[in-house]
This record gives sequence, structure tokens and C-alpha cells, in this order.
Amino acid sequence: MKTIYKKLLFLFLILPISAVFSQTSLSGTVLDASVNQPLPGVNVIVQGANNSTTTDFDGKFQLNGLKNGDVIVVSYIGYQSESIKFSGQKEIKVQLKEDLTQLQEVVVQVGYGSVKKKDATGSVSVVTDKDFNKGAILSADQLLVGKATGIRITNDGGAPDSAPNIRIRGISSLNAEASPLLVIDNVPIDNRLAAGQGNPLSLINPNDIESFTILKDASATAIYGSRASNGVIIITTKKGTSGVPKYTYSSTFSFGKVNNLIDVRDGNSFAQFITEKYPEHIAKLGIADPNNPGQRILYNTDWQSEIFRNTISQDHNFSARASIFNGVPFRASVGFNNTQGVVITNDYRRVSAGVKVTPTFFDGHLKVDVNAKGFSSRKNSVDSGGAIGAALNMDPTKPVYGSSPNNRFEGYYQQVSDPTDGNWDGSYRIQGQLNPVALLKQRERPESIDKFLGNIEFDYKMHFLPELRAVVNLGIESSKSYIREIYAENALQTYKIDGTTSVAPDSYVFNPGLNYKERQTIDNKTFDAYLVYTKKLSGFMSRVEMQGGHNFQSFVNQGVKDNYIYDITTGVRELNVNPQNPNNRYFGKMTLESYFGRANVDFLDKYLLTMTLRADASSLFPSDRRWGYFPAAGLAWKMKEESFLKNIESINDLKLRVGYGVTGNSDIRSQGYYPYTALFSPGNQNGQYLPGVNIYSANAFNPNLTWEKSATTNIGIDFDLFKNGFLSGSVDAYIRKTTDLLATVQFPPGQFLTNQFVSNAAAITNKGIELSLTAKLYSSDDMNWSVSGNMSYNKGKVDEVNGATRIAASGGGLPGIGRTLSYHAIGEQPQSAWVFEQVYDNAGQPIPNVFVDRNGDGSINDDDKYYVALVPNWNFGFSTTFNYKKFDLNASFRGQLGGNVYNSVKYQYGWEQKVVPNISQNLNNNLNGNLPFVTIAENSVVSDYFLEDATFLRCESLSIGYMFDKLFKSATLRLYVGANNLFLITKYSGQDPENFNGIDTNFYPRPRVFNTGVTIDF
Amino acid sequence: MKIIIKKIAVAFLFVMLFNSCSSELDTKPVVEQSFENLLLQDPNAAKGLLSRMYATFALTGSNGPGSSDIVTNDAGESGFLRGIINLQDLTTDNVKNRWGDDGLDQLTTTSNWTQNNKFFRYLFDRVYYTVPQTTNLIIALQNTNVSEKAQYISELRFLRSLAYYYMIDCFGKGVLVTTENYGTISPLPEASRTDLFDYVESELLAIENDLPFSNEYGRANKSACRMLLAKLYLNAEVYTGVSRYNDALIYSNKVITEGGFSLAPNYLQNFTADNNTSPEIIFPLIADALTSQSYGNTTYLVNASMNADTMPISLFGATDGWGGNRATKAWYGLFGDLDTSTDARAQLFWRAGHTYEMTDYKTWTNGYPSTKFRNSMFTGTSSPTSFSSTDFPMFRLADAYLIYAESVLRGATSGSSSQALSYVNELRARSNASSISQSQLTLDFILDERGRELNMEGQRRTDLIRFGKFTGGDYLWPWKGNSLNGVSIPDTYKVFPLPLSALDSNPNLTQNTGY
Repeated sequence: MKTIYKKLLFLFLILPISAVFSQTSLSGTVLDASVNQPLPGVNVIVQGANNSTTTDFDGKFQLNGLKNGDVIVVSYIGYQSESIKFSGQKEIKVQLKEDLTQLQEVVVQVGYGSVKKKDATGSVSVVTDKDFNKGAILSADQLLVGKATGIRITNDGGAPDSAPNIRIRGISSLNAEASPLLVIDNVPIDNRLAAGQGNPLSLINPNDIESFTILKDASATAIYGSRASNGVIIITTKKGTSGVPKYTYSSTFSFGKVNNLIDVRDGNSFAQFITEKYPEHIAKLGIADPNNPGQRILYNTDWQSEIFRNTISQDHNFSARASIFNGVPFRASVGFNNTQGVVITNDYRRVSAGVKVTPTFFDGHLKVDVNAKGFSSRKNSVDSGGAIGAALNMDPTKPVYGSSPNNRFEGYYQQVSDPTDGNWDGSYRIQGQLNPVALLKQRERPESIDKFLGNIEFDYKMHFLPELRAVVNLGIESSKSYIREIYAENALQTYKIDGTTSVAPDSYVFNPGLNYKERQTIDNKTFDAYLVYTKKLSGFMSRVEMQGGHNFQSFVNQGVKDNYIYDITTGVRELNVNPQNPNNRYFGKMTLESYFGRANVDFLDKYLLTMTLRADASSLFPSDRRWGYFPAAGLAWKMKEESFLKNIESINDLKLRVGYGVTGNSDIRSQGYYPYTALFSPGNQNGQYLPGVNIYSANAFNPNLTWEKSATTNIGIDFDLFKNGFLSGSVDAYIRKTTDLLATVQFPPGQFLTNQFVSNAAAITNKGIELSLTAKLYSSDDMNWSVSGNMSYNKGKVDEVNGATRIAASGGGLPGIGRTLSYHAIGEQPQSAWVFEQVYDNAGQPIPNVFVDRNGDGSINDDDKYYVALVPNWNFGFSTTFNYKKFDLNASFRGQLGGNVYNSVKYQYGWEQKVVPNISQNLNNNLNGNLPFVTIAENSVVSDYFLEDATFLRCESLSIGYMFDKLFKSATLRLYVGANNLFLITKYSGQDPENFNGIDTNFYPRPRVFNTGVTIDF
Repeated sequence: MKIIIKKIAVAFLFVMLFNSCSSELDTKPVVEQSFENLLLQDPNAAKGLLSRMYATFALTGSNGPGSSDIVTNDAGESGFLRGIINLQDLTTDNVKNRWGDDGLDQLTTTSNWTQNNKFFRYLFDRVYYTVPQTTNLIIALQNTNVSEKAQYISELRFLRSLAYYYMIDCFGKGVLVTTENYGTISPLPEASRTDLFDYVESELLAIENDLPFSNEYGRANKSACRMLLAKLYLNAEVYTGVSRYNDALIYSNKVITEGGFSLAPNYLQNFTADNNTSPEIIFPLIADALTSQSYGNTTYLVNASMNADTMPISLFGATDGWGGNRATKAWYGLFGDLDTSTDARAQLFWRAGHTYEMTDYKTWTNGYPSTKFRNSMFTGTSSPTSFSSTDFPMFRLADAYLIYAESVLRGATSGSSSQALSYVNELRARSNASSISQSQLTLDFILDERGRELNMEGQRRTDLIRFGKFTGGDYLWPWKGNSLNGVSIPDTYKVFPLPLSALDSNPNLTQNTGY
């Protein structure tokens, strides 16, 4: 990359610094009529002449070569245009009035440029800050969830940093990265997470975000070719101003609580259950009474309540928009967030700062856009799954804290084989379930990340040819992670047998302190250079824009780890040094290189054609299979411009779009950075065999890897109907065929170096319809009420899987037992559960191990199983905004229709024998009530009894605010109260049906959060 | 317009100046190595790669006990040796497991076997990890100037044959991946049991002369090769329909007379943490509590038979008792009254706190755990460790004796029945069991003696099938066919079903009849 910087410097030096003078010139300022603030970016054109400009950030413009009588048209999105006749004025001031009918006009980022939404040819959704979800928002995805068609965001649960799992238009990547490409201020960011980071979108301050642009069909995404197969989300941050400085301070406090706990037995009903069903185990209930030998004390501990807490979180932001150095727009913000997870000790803290400067030079010829964002986050990462599982499993008649004089664990109760506890075997071994509270409190795992995301973009309009712009963009995404895992004194998990004594009772040692350490550095670089030629023409071809360029990206991920092991004899933990790789170093580098070109041609201002071609190369593929070519074309017909619609008043706008394109995906870094190369890795010091030599393994690889390709056909209509845009929206329908899908497949036995590896082996078709609607139900000076909603239907079908009938879906394994539930099977929707049909008795209870002989061959085997799709076909969201004078109310709802979730809690805890100890003396808890199963046999595990309808409606956010204006001078203050996840309506019998893998196990509950806050603008 | 185009072209060229990144697309690893670099960097690299192939039978992966060479949900459970024990011993009369993991009950009760049972998949996938890996290394070594490459290649061919042996024995069919066809991408055709038999036989005969009589401990020698041939021939009638008892005798006799091995003075010396000193073990799978850790080697054999609830597990060198496996009366019943039996092998059961009968195989205290495999020293000293240091006697001389004797009884012509009797009595005398007479030496006696001598060594299922006692109702044992006293099971069970994943990934493979 060094050479690239040098070249960039060179570009600077040779920039032609010349000015063009002319005879008759006019300078002016354009202002917003209502607030008297300058408006930047306003189009100023001379009617009928090839002469135009735009205002700078002070709202100033200069036009040359004018002659008397020229009509100068000043126009700007959202404002009514003004025309001025030139009569030799030297300077003018133009005030533009807001145009209420045009307020919908939105600028759409299309990748390496932007267009007005009404001129967009692809399928694009835009969500701007006024539409965002409100309230306690920690990460950017929470602003967006439920707000746009065709995008499904299903986070992993309620942890502060949980992965958002974003899918656009269904599943079309299996083992390659399936998330959309995320572009923040022109820097495509890495979907692969830094160590210690759960969510790629948690490292941008949500308060800085101005808009999301979601590119869905290939004609829109193709410009990002290589990485756009799963759609693109472009995040644009707020900009500075050139007027008077403006400051905003906002602050939110929020209070969270788990809505509903899983109904396991409490102490009393557990004791009763054991007494009735397993009386031989009564003596294992509770703990020995130290004062009455032979007696037991039974506690009633709600282990879930012990590991969950009511949370208090806060978020503070301060931003300043101003101009520095005489008119360079500037925005800076700082933010602080402290969020408590509902699982105890799961704390998250983030400090963020961002700066955006957008100076212009050389009379507006050179625009520079500089963004720098820094984040620092620190969380205590907890093993929430382990703790939640432990809380469900742990015998409720046991106490949280133990008062036994033999207690060895800082007062935390833990069942051990103990002389006071009836069944002493001469050792002090831990028995059974580890105390979940001790698990959480005796281990600390601080994970910190410092991250920088920045770019500088030069947009130079050639002095010698103003129609031609050269744009150079340099972006950096770099982070440093530091993870440690530290045990407290007397931690349960560090209690190890000291084998140096071989007589009973065994002696034990504790190992407080460091158990794991990792440092990671990520350095990703983006470099774009492209030319844009734009020409407005008269005649049939009314405008031409040609664009061509080059893109290079590199991703370097490296780090070192300290692993510890317990000495096999002494039980003492010590650093585990592998002489072959002493620091457990890892290193991976991926590079991508692309050439792209785009042509936009407008005919008669109403037929808009976009054509794109992109060639991409990825270092993840062998050189002869490295390049992929991704073409796309989109056509928009601005029907409103046709004479037969022009005069229909009830139609404000109507546009038809048709598009086709191919995009790619290469990101299989989950399989390593060198998946096509034959490589050998050293084994570690516990994996040696013959003495005296170091072991080396031949790593699996696939020399035939190449691009995964998606071809999308899309047809859509954008409309804006009735007076004042009463009803607007869009409808899209699409077919997307993905072929050569990179999937982890079972190889033909013996023909590759291992049983499963990634291969271009599958094909999937997704078909769908999307509808978004906004209705401005009422609008007046005092009161506004609007409702908007979106609904998406997507149905996927697996066309091909490695020549087989099905492959196991990743994330489709049931907990613990290595049984696969969900598959990608030919003809079925991706990620479908393959299950038996349960037979029920007259009372509606399942008859254990009895299933419907669906093929009627008299025996029950795999041929009787059928497929049930887990992913819902319908997703929807709707929201309403209501303003009355100084009150405002926002409410957002979302949900899904259909889809299924496997209630793994029932499978794991819903059978009677669950309580019986397997090894040693502990009892396990199970679900309350009469359970249908004594034990769950092999086939019952994959019974459709455990599948439940995952339809739900969730109130995502609700807020009510009141605005105090003219607090002092022009300052305003908005005070609000609200709630997130206020309610969930579902028939699902478990906790929460919204589940990415469709398997509900040890789920981190999404809390209900009440929040209150204030926003002050001054 | 021409000028404009020129200007654009100039600017475009200028932008493209930045493009010199194509070389950056050839990214290079830093930690991992190419074969050539590896050989340059470490003079012992070729032997390290060979070591790796031996390890495929004992270790689940080369990065410690949590790592796995095959993609699986549970590394430890998937080990090759563990798979052998699970499929060859748990399915028979000698030992039962109580964990009830998905699929394990079906092995223990010899019932409801399906293509979804992960334990069948584990062994299948392990065979087809070792086969391509050894083949890949054979091909790679051929083009090097590693000085010992000829012997390394012979040893690799032995290991590949050993892996195939389990395909022949357990699944009865498969695909035949060879040095010649390796690299084929399209699914290979199904290979019949006979195809695989013929290939393994030819491979072993081809390397017999190349392997040395004596090799470094843990590596294959001539006798290991001959032992595998003897086992192949002994079961040839089952595998191919053509009996080869003469050959079984010839090769077992070669092992006995030419191999230089002798019976350990004490039976138990073959199963303790210091069993690497036993003179009897022909081919071991190495385990080491520190350097060769695996949940799939003897750590499983030791820990799964231990439970601190009823046993002083420290005395057996274990720190963790998994409380899974107990022997049944079909094993310890072979010794008669355990209180009075003089047989040293009868003493290797933990009886205190346990019942003779196994009325519920899921109750730990039903049945006696076997203490044959242990992680303490032969002298009894014990320093308990999480992982076992006891090597697994894959082939040992006692088995060769019994193969010789059985072959004679099955009509092999080149041996003598007096020699057969003498070998059997040598084994019995070693364990302080009474000598038997020529008339007592029957095939049924051989089967029982094999049980007494070799149970839990991964042989029992093969033996029962060869004697026609595995399927059907002639011979019943506790929980056979998922019934307390045993019921008849169909002949289908003579081979395991091929795993569904294999059928799905190679359409040329067909399921075994009856599944």
C-alpha cells in the first residue's frame, strides 16, 4: 500500500491550479427562507444554456459567462425552485421555500456516488433518522430493525453486544459470509468480527447515523460486485454545517428486566416430584443439616432470578456542527454508553468520538470528505449459555451460598462429596451441576477493543473538463483487541485434584488468576480511484454519466494467544507453550481487487438506464479461478413524466423499475485465509505422537474454489399518490438464483483430506415480494399523523446440494448430542427441520416414540421424515408517528408470520428422568407440570412435537416526547419516555420465538426496557 | 468530442496508475507451511508427518484433546480407537454403557441401528480420514529425496490397510481410494467387501518384505503386517465367503516364531501405564498423559470404566471417572465363581458396591466395571492424571496364539493340534488358570478363551460373528436386542449401516441390506 500513498501524493502535486475567468459573472447566496440559513449543494443552472453550478457549503455560488436576459433557475431537493432573470446584477440573494410536496425526495447512495431516489433504477430502501427506532439503542442495527422491506435482522438475543444476523431477501449464502456488505461513509467494513466483538455495528455511535440505504437487487448492488451477493447496507453519518454552530446533547437512561422466565420447578414442587416419582433419591434433596445429623435442609432457590438482574443503562452524546477555518463544514461528536446485560456481570461500556470535515478547494472543484471515528469498548464477556443452562438444570432445593464449615468456594454453595454430606466417598470432588452464580461471579473476562474507522475522499472536478470528476478514496479500518480471562480466588472451575498424593482423601488446589489472554490486530485498507463523466444533453438522450474505476482492499487479521493448561499431576495451571508456535500466533491476509464501470443514460428524462460491469479478484481463490465478472443493468421508466399521466393530479409520482444483474461472494474466511492451498500446520504439545519429532498435519483444502454467484431479476414500482403525498411507497418482486454456492459439504468419503470442507456445491433460488407504504393520514400546522409499514415475502428453494439430497445446515445441530435438526434439502426451503410426525393420544399428549408412518411401508425410518421450514416467509414492520403541537409519539412494531422454532428447552428439560443423576449424586431440575416423556428416545428428538409456530408481533419501541422550545434563545429541549420490547404477542410456548437458527436453547432473553431521556439543541 | 475522449482517456490512464496490486492477490500464510518449506525447515518433518498418520488411530486431532481431524460435534467421542471399542465391544456381550447419549443405547442394546447413528459415522469418517491422508503423504513423499522414504511409504501403506480393515469388518463395503486414483473428484464407485479384502491383502503382501522385524516403538514392523494378514485370513470366510484358515495359521505362526515377541510374565502388564515395556505387544497405539492427550484413546477405556461413587479411582491413576462402562456376566461369568477363580484375569473387575446382574444397564452399580485397563503402574504405584498414559495393545502375541489354535481347529493343515493346545495352555498358565486337555480344546472353548483374554480390546464383535453367535438367537447375552435376558437379532446386524452422510455424498454407495 505504501506505493499507493506515494501515488496519491503525486496526484496532489500535479493538480492543475488554474482558474477560468469570464466577462459577465454573478455571485450569489442561497438561503433557507424559513430559518435564513445558507443552503449548500443547491443547483444553479442557466436555462437553455450549458452553464450550471452548485452552491458551496456557505450557500454561495458564482456563475460566469452570463448575458442579459438569461434565466437562472435555483433548485434544491425539498424546496420550491426560484427563477431569476439576469440583468447585470453582480450579487443576488435567493431565498428558497420548503416544498411540502417534495419533502419525500431522498438521496440514495448507490455506491461510488448517489442519485435522487426518484431517479434510482434499482431496488433500494432508505431509512433516515426520523424513521429510526427510538429509545435505548446500543448498536446501529437496532435503529433499523423492522423498518425496511426485504431485510430481516434477528439478533442472537438480549446481550448488549449480540450479533445482529442480518439477511437481505432470504438465505442465499450457506457457509460463505451471508451478511450484507456494510459500507460506512464509503468504507466497506469487515463483516468478520474482531476478537471480543459481537456485533459489527456496535462500533459506530448510532447517534451519528443520518441514514441507511439498503441496496437489494443486483442492478443496485452490482457496483459492489464481489461482496454484494447478500445485499449492501450503506450507512451515512451526519454532516457539518456552514452556518451558525449548533450543538446537541442527548441523554438516555434505561431500565431493563427479563419479561418471562422458563417454567422449571421451584424447590417445593421439585421436592414433591422427587418424592412421588423417584423416592430413592429423596436423600439427595437439599443439603445436610449441620445441627441435626441425618436431616436435610431444603432451600427454594429460583436460579434464574439469581443470574438475571434488573438493569440500569445510560447513553450520553454530545455533538457540534459548525464551520471551521471560515466555512469548512465540520461535525464532531462524542458518545458514552454504559449498558448492563440482564445476565449478572455482563457489563458493556463504549466511548466513541467522530469527526467529519468536508472542505472544498479550488472554487469548488475539489471536494474533500474526511471522516474519522474512534471507538473504545470494553465488556465483561460472560458464558451466558452455560450460566443459563446451569440455572435451568440446577436443583432448586440447593442454596446459592453455603454456610458449611467445609465450604471451599468463597461461600458459594457447591455440591461436593463431603464428610458432612451423607455419601462421602473419601474425596472432595465436585458433584453435578456447577453453581451458576459462582460460574458468573468467579470468572471475569474483560474484552476490550479500540477501533479506528476513517477515510479521506477527494472528489476533483477537472478544471480542463468540468464534466469529468476524479475521485480517490482511502479508507482504513483498524482495531486492537485485548482479551483476558481471570479467575477469582477459590473459583469452582479452577478446583483441581493434586495428584501428587495418591491416598484418599485427595487433596485439591485452586488456581486463581489469568486463564487466557489474546491480543489481536486488524488492519483493513480500502483504496478506490474512479472517474465520472457526466454530461447533460438535449435531445433523445438527455443525460449521460459514465464511470470507471479501480478498487483494492486488503484485510489483515493477526494475533497471539496465551493458553493455559492444568498440570496433569499437580493440578496447577501453567502457561501452555507450544515450541512450534510459542505465542500461538495466527495470521491471515485476504485481498480483493476490482475494476468497475457504470453507465447511466437517461432518455427524454424519463427512461433511465443503468449498466454496470465489475470484475473482481479474491485472494481466497486460486489464480486461474480468481476473477469473477459481474454485469448488471437496470431500467427505470418515470411514468409520471409521460403525457398521459402528467396531468393526473392524484398521481404525484410513478416509476417502474426493471433490473437484472449478477453479484458474487467469496468470503469463506471461516474456512481459513488460504482455503485452496496445500498447507501443513504444526500440532501442539498435547497432540504429539512418536517421541522426538514434531507432528505436522496436512490441512484440508479445495483447489477448485471459485466465486459464488447470484443472479437477480427485479421488477418494482415506486408511487406517490394523492394530495400532499397522502400515500406513497413501493412494490418489488424478485427472483434470485444463487449458484456455485460456497457450502461446507460432506465430501465423497476418502477423496479429500477430511470429511467436510467448503466447495462450490449448492444452488438456491429465492423468490419474493416486498411492499412498503407510507400514509400521511393527517397533516396540518398543529397536528401530523403518519403511518408506515412494510411487508416482505421471501421463499427460498434449494436446487442443488453437492449432488446429494440434503446437507446439514450450519447452526442446525441440536445441543449436546450431535444430532442434526435442520438441513438444506433439495426442493425444500433452506434451513428446514427434518422431522418425524408425532402421534398424539386422545388427551392431546404426544405418545413417546410413536410416529406417523407417512410412506405407509409399515416401518418407521428416515423415509417417514418430512421437512418443516424454520425461517419465516413473511416479515413485517409498521410504525406510526403522531405530532400534536409540542407532543410527539412514535411507535414501532414488527414481527413475522410463519416460520418454526424448535423448543429445545422442552427437549432438554421436559422429561421426567432428567432429574436423576447420571454420574454421582446431583439431581437436575426439569420443567414444571406433567411431562409427556419419561425419557426422550432417539427418534423423538427429531419429532415435530418440538417444533412450534414462530409467528410473533413485537412492540419494538414506543416513545412519547414533549418539546420545550425557546428555552433560552433558540434552544430546544425534548423530553421523552419510552419503552423497547414493550410486549411480544406469540403462541410460542417458550420464551421468545425470534430465533436465528430456529433452535431455542439457553437463550439470552431480550429484556423489556423502559427508558427516559432528553435531547437539547442549542 | 474527440478531445473530450482523449482527455477522458488520459485521466483514466492516470487513475489506473494506481493499479499495480495484482501481485497482492497471492497472499502468503505466515504460520502454516507448504510441504517444500516444511521439509527444508525441519529435518525431521517427514517423520513428523509419518507420526501424524500413526496418531490418527489414537488422537482425535493434533491440537490437543479438543481438536478433531474430522468435522464432528464432539471431538473426544469421535476418536478412531474409541470408535473401535464402541462398535466392537459395546455391541456385544462383554460391556454395556449407561450414558444413553443419542445413539449409544442402540449400540449397547444391539437394537434400532439406523444410518443416523453418529457412532457409525465416527468410525466410518475416521477410516476415510486416515485413508486419504496416508495416500496424500505417500504421493508427496514419492517426489522427495527423504532418505527413509521407502520405509515410510511401506508403513503408510500398512496404516492405510489397517484403516481399511475396519471398513471391511464393520461396514462390509466402501470405496477404494488408492495411490493411483487419489485426486478423483467425482464420486468413486462402491467397492465390495471382496474388493477391499483383495486390495488390503495385496498391499500387505507387497510391504511384508519391506517392513523390518524390529522398528521404533509405536511403528509398524513385519509382525504387525503379518498379524493384520492373519486376522484378515481368519475372518476371510465371513468377509469373502472363502475360508483361508491355512493362511491365517501360516501368518500367525510367522508372528509367533519369527517376530521375537514373548508373553509378558503377567497378563496385567499389557494394560498398565507402563505397558510400553511389555514384550508381548506387537503394535501399540501410544498414549501419553501429557504429550498425546485424547478422549478417544485409552483415556476412554480407563475413565469410562471408573466412577468415584463406588471406586477409589485414584488407585487406578484416574482423576476423572466417567461412570459409563461395566462388564456383564457374559464376560465375568466366563471365569465361573469369581470368589474362587484362580485366574488372574478374573480379578480385574471392581465388585464392591456392584451387583452381578445387570437388571438396568443405565444404573451404574449394575454389573462390574472392568479394571483391566488402568493408568497406574504395574507395580500399583499411581500418580493420577486426567489423561491416560496406557498404550493400547492393538496387536499382541496372545492373539496370535489364539489365531493359531483356532485355525488348527478350523482345519488348517500346516499346524498341529498339540501346538495349538500348548499355546492356549501357555496363555492360561500365565494367568494362573488351570490347564486344559486336548479334548477340551474346542471351537467353543476358543471363543470363551478369546473373551477371557481379549475382551475390551476391540475384537469381540468380529469373533462372535465368525462363530455365528452375534446375530440370531443361538447365543443371548444381557440386553441383546434391548431385552434384559437377550433376544434374537436379525442377520442384518452383521454389518453396520453406512452413515447417511456417506450415502448423501457419494450416490454410488448403497445402504447395507436391511437398513
